[in-house]
Amino acid sequence: MNTPYPKAADHGLAACHTCGRVSPVTLGKCPRCGSHLHLRKPASIQNTLALMAAAAALYIPSHMLPIMTVSELGVVTTNTIIGGMMTFWRSGAYPIAIVIFTASILIPMLKIVALSWLCAAATGRVHPSPAALGKVYWFTELLGRWSMVDIFVVGILVSIVQLGNYMTITPGPGALAFAGVVMLTMFAAMSFEPRMLWDRLDELSSAPPSNDSATTPS
Amino acid sequence: MKSGLSRSLLASLPWPKPPGGPRHSVCHFCDTLHESSPVAEGSAARCIRCGAVLYQNRPASLARASAFSLAALLLMGLVHVFPFLTMDAATLRRHLTLVGASTALMDEGAPILGVSIVLFTVIAPLVLAGGMLYVCLPLMFGRSAPLARHVAKWMYRSEPWNMVEVFLLGVLVSLLKLAKVAEVHFGLGFWAFAALMLCMAAAVAGIDREELWDRLEVAAK
Repeated sequence: MNTPYPKAADHGLAACHTCGRVSPVTLGKCPRCGSHLHLRKPASIQNTLALMAAAAALYIPSHMLPIMTVSELGVVTTNTIIGGMMTFWRSGAYPIAIVIFTASILIPMLKIVALSWLCAAATGRVHPSPAALGKVYWFTELLGRWSMVDIFVVGILVSIVQLGNYMTITPGPGALAFAGVVMLTMFAAMSFEPRMLWDRLDELSSAPPSNDSATTPS
Repeated sequence: MKSGLSRSLLASLPWPKPPGGPRHSVCHFCDTLHESSPVAEGSAARCIRCGAVLYQNRPASLARASAFSLAALLLMGLVHVFPFLTMDAATLRRHLTLVGASTALMDEGAPILGVSIVLFTVIAPLVLAGGMLYVCLPLMFGRSAPLARHVAKWMYRSEPWNMVEVFLLGVLVSLLKLAKVAEVHFGLGFWAFAALMLCMAAAVAGIDREELWDRLEVAAK
């Protein structure tokens, strides 16, 4: 590799995922904190894709099934995430409708799309710029947690709205599916290895442009 | 063993580097290898290739991390004692607490959701703030607490699962949903929780991960 920037992996050095100490990977375990040392997270793409496929599969029932059931004076209505958002929108509460739309519908979907795109970039199927990669990776790492807000709302409403015959709220199966989506996408983002993106970029810059076939990473 | 004087001297140093050879720092994003050199207090070292922050030298790092995590622990006590919201509907008065929200879910047939609420809003913040105080307070006196290495590891592992700020947004959304149905008031628990969110953020930002581990390594020697 004749890139101008020295890479730790080319020197057999690995930064500990837990404490950041740089040690030779041959040690196996970090001498400072005892965590396992890897040059790259093992089977990162497979793990990320598997977790993401599970998240994508749960995404559909999480929006089709009710997240909570409201019974008001004997009248039972089921609420989905999209239905709750539409109620806010129709009643003129636009900012809160936008918050719910972003946290519950947009972020999980964008996260699944962004991670697929990152996996495609890490395996050399698309060739984006490093700046775009940085932004997309930052997005997947930081924003996923905010989707949990709908689960918390269900918990809060179920807890506080227990008014006997007048009004009660119970959680629905959609809430469990949606919590699954959020947690699976968080695990998927954690198992992704961003360094593989840069390995691919270095390969492209060192190889002649006509040679587009994938080479095995060192 | 070091004398008390050299320990307190070490603790007062801005960022002591462990002995033994040149130290390296690797960018977690692009794997570029750097020779790590000290940076001035209040500034950060960035990756020469992708610009990601490698490490930051925080001013008064141990004192800040300890103080804010102690404040966070005290606020956690308040959060569990006082209600977040109080709702008056018809003749009934209902209170919302963190534990109440999760036990309600468990009682209503969603035990996994109930447990996840406790994990994300009670356990993860507790491990994070408690671990931070347990590790940083003895370091202020140049000592490392027993098992500090393991505590620090679990502390950083719990960090992405701390969702205090997300729960706070959830309370606000619920408030708007309930406003049509009943009269809802903020309780002391809500304000304590908002302050907890700020203290947690300040504690985590108070000390750089690399500095904390470097200090642990120096103190354990």
